Amino acid sequence: MAHMNLLQQLGYYYQQNGAYVLSQFTRHFLISIYGVLFAAIIGIPIGIFIAHHSKLSAEVIAIANVIQTVPSLAMLSIIMIGLGLGVNTVIVTVFLYALLPIIKNTYTGMRNVSPSILDSGKGMGMTRWQILRMVELPLSLSVIMAGLRNALVLAIGITAIGTFVGAGGLGDIIIRGTNATNGGAIILAGALPTALMAIISDTVLAWIEKRADPTQK
Amino acid sequence: MRKFKKWILGIIATVASGVLLAGCGFPGLSGSSSDTVRIASQNTTEQQIMAYVIQDMIQHYSKLNTTIINNLGSGTVSFNALKNNQADISSIRFTGTDLTTILGETADRGNVKATDDKVRSQFNSKYHMTYFPSYGFADTYAFMVTQKTAKKYHLNSISDMKKVASKLTVGLDQTWLERKGDGYDDFQKLYGYKFGNTYPMQIGLVYDALESGKMDAILGYSTDGRIGSYDLKILKDDRNFFPPYNASAVATNKVLKEHPQLKPILSRLNGKIDLKTMQNLNYKVDNNLVEPEVVAKQFLEQHNYFEGSDK
Repeated sequence: MAHMNLLQQLGYYYQQNGAYVLSQFTRHFLISIYGVLFAAIIGIPIGIFIAHHSKLSAEVIAIANVIQTVPSLAMLSIIMIGLGLGVNTVIVTVFLYALLPIIKNTYTGMRNVSPSILDSGKGMGMTRWQILRMVELPLSLSVIMAGLRNALVLAIGITAIGTFVGAGGLGDIIIRGTNATNGGAIILAGALPTALMAIISDTVLAWIEKRADPTQK
Repeated sequence: MRKFKKWILGIIATVASGVLLAGCGFPGLSGSSSDTVRIASQNTTEQQIMAYVIQDMIQHYSKLNTTIINNLGSGTVSFNALKNNQADISSIRFTGTDLTTILGETADRGNVKATDDKVRSQFNSKYHMTYFPSYGFADTYAFMVTQKTAKKYHLNSISDMKKVASKLTVGLDQTWLERKGDGYDDFQKLYGYKFGNTYPMQIGLVYDALESGKMDAILGYSTDGRIGSYDLKILKDDRNFFPPYNASAVATNKVLKEHPQLKPILSRLNGKIDLKTMQNLNYKVDNNLVEPEVVAKQFLEQHNYFEGSDK
C-alpha cells in the first residue's frame, strides 16, 4: 500500500470496506439519535415546567450544568461501572450530555415569550393547556430546535468515544487506524464521516429551526 | 437543608431515568437487548478478525442476535467481562497467558498439553467457562530484530542479546512489563540481563518502530503479518521462557446452556486456522487497508463457512 498516496489509500479503503463503514455510520448515528431523543422526551417537559415554576429553574439548570462539566471520558467510565460494557452505556452518556442544551433552550424559549401575548391569551379565555399548546410552544419552537441541534452535534462527538466501552460506531475505525501500520488513511476514513455527520445534521436541523420560527413566515 | 434535598432528588431522578433507559433494547442497534450473544474482542487485529469470524458463523448457522464488544484493553479486561456477565464469548484466549495471569500459576514450559488441560479444567470448574479446542494456531511473544541488526550483532537467539542488551532500545507491549509469570521481571531472572532502554508501546505500533529504525529490538506477536512483509528476524527463545499460547475461543457455560446451538457452531472452527492462515489474515488487515469484518467474511465465504465439518 506504500506506493499510494493518502487520498488514493482513502479511496481504496472505501472501495474495500464500503459496506462496513456504512453499517458503522448508521450505528453511530442511531446511538446519537437515541440519546438525544430520550433527552428531548425528558428535557423538554422539564424545561417547560421550570419556565412556569421559576423558583426551581436555578437548581435544575445547575444540576444539568454540573453534568456537563464532567469530562466525557470520565462520565463514560463512571456509567460503565454501573451498566457494564456495550452500547447502552454510551446512550445513557449521550442522554446526560444532551440534557443541558435541551433544558436550557426550552426554558429560555418559553421565558422569552412576551408576557403581553400571554396576557391576551388569558384575556381571550384560553386555558393554561391551550396557552401552552397554541401560544408558548409555537413561539419558542425555534429556540427549542436550536437546543436539539446543539445536543445532536455534541452527541455525535461523544458517541465517537463510545468505542472505548465497546459500543462500536465510527470511533472503532479511528481507533483501528491508530493501531495499524500507516493508519493515516484509516483514521481519516473514520474521522471524515464523523465530521460529515455532524455538519449534515447541523445543517438539516438549522433548516428545520428556521422553518419552525413562526415570525419568519 | 431543603435546597440540599432538592439537589439530591434531582440527581436521583436523572440517574433513575438513565437506568430505566438502559434496561430496554433499541431497534436497529444489536447488542442492546438481553437475548443477544455478546462477543468480547481485544484491540488487536487478530482478536477482531476472530470476533467477526465467530459473529458471521453464528449468524450463518442460527437466528441469534450477536454483537461485538470491541477494543478491550487486555486479556484480563475481556476475562472480567465474561466473568461479570457483560460478555458471553471471548474471541481468542491463549492457554499460556490464562494460566499465568488468570489462574496465577507458573507454566510448565516444556509441556503444552499439560498447560492446555489444566487451563481447560480450571476454567470450567472455577469460572464456569468452556475453553474450546484450539483454532489450530498458537501465538507467542517473540523478540524480533531487523536482518541488519541481526547481522551486525550476530543475533540468533534471545541469549545472544545478552552482550549487547545494555545498548539496545527495545519496544515492548505495555501489558507484558507488568505481567507475572511470563513478564519482564521473570524474563530478567531467567535470561539474566535487562535492556538499556525499554519503551512500553501499543502492540500494533512496535513493528513500524522497528522497521523505521526507532527501536533496535521489539517484543511482538509471532502471528503478526508484518513479520513477513518487513522481513523481520525472530530470535529463538532458546530457554523456553514464553509459555505456549494456544489460541481458542472461550464461552461462558451460561450462554452455551441458554443457546445449545452455539457449541456445534463454534466447534466447526476447531483446528481450522493454522499459523500461516492467521498471519495471512492479519497481513490483509494490517497492510492492505481491509477491515477485520471484511477479511473475516471473505475468509468464511472462501471456506464455505466450514459446511460439513460438524462432528
